[in-house]
Amino acid sequence: MTASEIKTDVLVVGGGGAGFRAAIGARDKGAEVLLLSKGPLGRCGATPMAGADYTLDGNSLRELGFYGEPIDSKETFFEDIVKQGFYLNNQELLEQYVNTAPDRLKELIDWGVVVVRSEERAIFTSGIGMMDALVGRAKQVGVQTLEDVMLLELITHDGQVTGALGLEVASGGFVRFSAKAVVIATGGWHKAYWPNTGMRDLSGEGIAMAHRAGADLGNMEFITFCCNVLLWPPHALGSIASYIFSLRCAGELTNHLGETFLDQYDSNLVDIGTHMEWNKCFVSLATMKEVRDGKGSPRGGIYYGRGDTPWEQWERLVNVSFPGWKYKHIDLAEIVSRIREGNGIEVGAAVEYFDGGIIIDRDFQTKVPGLFAAGECTLGPFGANRVCAATTEMLVHGAEAGENAGDYALAAKPQSIPNSRFKELQQQACLPLERQDGARVAQVRRRVQEMAHEHLGPIRNESQLTRFLGALQNVKNDELPNLATTSKSRAYNKEWIDALEFPNTLHLLETAAKSALFRTESRGVHFREDHPHTDNNNWFQESVASLNGEIQISKRPVTVTSTSPPTGVKPYLEMLKELMEAHSEVGGHH
Amino acid sequence: MSQKKISVKVYRNDPTAGSGPSYDSYQVPWEPGMSAMDVLDHIYQNTDSSVAYYDHAGCALGICARCTGKVNGKACLLCQTIVDGDLVIDPVNESQVVKDLVSQRGRK
Repeated sequence: MTASEIKTDVLVVGGGGAGFRAAIGARDKGAEVLLLSKGPLGRCGATPMAGADYTLDGNSLRELGFYGEPIDSKETFFEDIVKQGFYLNNQELLEQYVNTAPDRLKELIDWGVVVVRSEERAIFTSGIGMMDALVGRAKQVGVQTLEDVMLLELITHDGQVTGALGLEVASGGFVRFSAKAVVIATGGWHKAYWPNTGMRDLSGEGIAMAHRAGADLGNMEFITFCCNVLLWPPHALGSIASYIFSLRCAGELTNHLGETFLDQYDSNLVDIGTHMEWNKCFVSLATMKEVRDGKGSPRGGIYYGRGDTPWEQWERLVNVSFPGWKYKHIDLAEIVSRIREGNGIEVGAAVEYFDGGIIIDRDFQTKVPGLFAAGECTLGPFGANRVCAATTEMLVHGAEAGENAGDYALAAKPQSIPNSRFKELQQQACLPLERQDGARVAQVRRRVQEMAHEHLGPIRNESQLTRFLGALQNVKNDELPNLATTSKSRAYNKEWIDALEFPNTLHLLETAAKSALFRTESRGVHFREDHPHTDNNNWFQESVASLNGEIQISKRPVTVTSTSPPTGVKPYLEMLKELMEAHSEVGGHH
Repeated sequence: MSQKKISVKVYRNDPTAGSGPSYDSYQVPWEPGMSAMDVLDHIYQNTDSSVAYYDHAGCALGICARCTGKVNGKACLLCQTIVDGDLVIDPVNESQVVKDLVSQRGRK
């Protein structure tokens, strides 16, 4: 089968908000830009799934003409995010987040985004609305796009990125890209877990291929689990609709024995930890503890109900976010009627956001010249725990990564990629199609996904992490080299696509598990039951995963511009409470 | 309690290989609140991994519309169609089939 060939200045990989904003940024610099969308244009990646909020300091919000908290400032916002992140934030990237968030919101509104309402330091809109505005703007400025194309591997020459090989999913044909600069904006890798809250395309190959190309990954052990995610009914599994219920009305969480299990925690911790987005850290941990203690629901969660809140009040609080009791197009009628009748619905903690990722410098460039990254796939500004919006991150990152990639590409000389390199990669990609018999990727992946949820969830320990790494090694030795597809047709061969994605997902799980084992303390969304203290004496450090034949984990100091952490060692829950209480007087969910 | 099973007939067609159209039948364990997409996921993961439906970047939220198909003759989004008994799953437009239930993408 012949492969098509495409040359461009800047290749943007990823069709969510970070990718589109990067494409616009690079195009604004005058570069030719091609954006690859793995799925439907403007309807894949995590962005359309987002509710969505967008966070910025309250004072800037007022300057833009919205309700916002007047006592808030950029400095206060910065300080709060540092505390939310357990001081592990890259403060250079955080300054960029705080300082440019207002400009990104302003332009988004100019491009057609409608703000539904605002609170102290956030506006609420929809992820779909954001995507429509970004896609519209990208088309207007002349960004080229390809739909249903996934990237298989980056190509480098003399340590510099020169192109990539892609796959047209519908036809099964290869696409050979030559590019002077590449921006990876592929989001999270939710598909490593079951259940998960992500869309079906987020399998992490962008991060894994950046690692193979020579970029480092960092803080991979910090993986945020959203709490109160729907575990039932099956068609809505993983939906965050019930999480939004719980933010609008805390209601009551009970375990399988009917106990209101949050009662065992400090009341202030529970109050802040359920009303603000700190809940992803605190409630997910508390939920997992119940499940691990054998007090979970049949599907591995807990129950959310309205508790003492009268139905009329619950309805008034929650319905604002769900007109017609729909979330996107998911029909919530049956779930809501259970709540009305005073019953609990089965919810649980499920993977939602990856705080670590590709290490970038202040210019959003990786260690590999010409290779940039933006959004959730990076080691971004949130440190050990994200409370503020990832939609802000995707836009502030995207804009600068794109502009810098555009500048870089315009100054770079084109490099030709030898035919043999493409051919070699194509042959390797075809192996699962050629093997007559072998392992079925869907079954292997599901087994790994369930193990990841159990061993690399909000609660970790050495013995489980070691066992998990052993299991991953077995999959790598015995099953990965033998993946075979049932159908040998190249036309939309779902099993082939899965076989091409899966080694990347596995690589990231191994990196994250090794990083989690390496960090012998508890911080943010990484809780080690065998090391239950936050240790600011030894672990005010980022973990760095480099790839030299195998994955090696080391540590490096956190990038600090203004705020240093306190020294000392503290039990995790005490530290969590202290950080929550140190939050400024600014109210709202962030 | 033995779990109820449903019979599922799935349209199969690979125009590049000149095979089909035809139907394959499967038995799938059923539970309340399952969507037609959940049924296909079960078949793909447990019975027949050669079946093609738009999954690699589907949203499962009813917003991308790539899983548009027909359940028992009626056009619908497979991910948002709740299944309560035996079913037949067809592509929405047979003339645009890329493979099985996956159709040529519409021009934007």
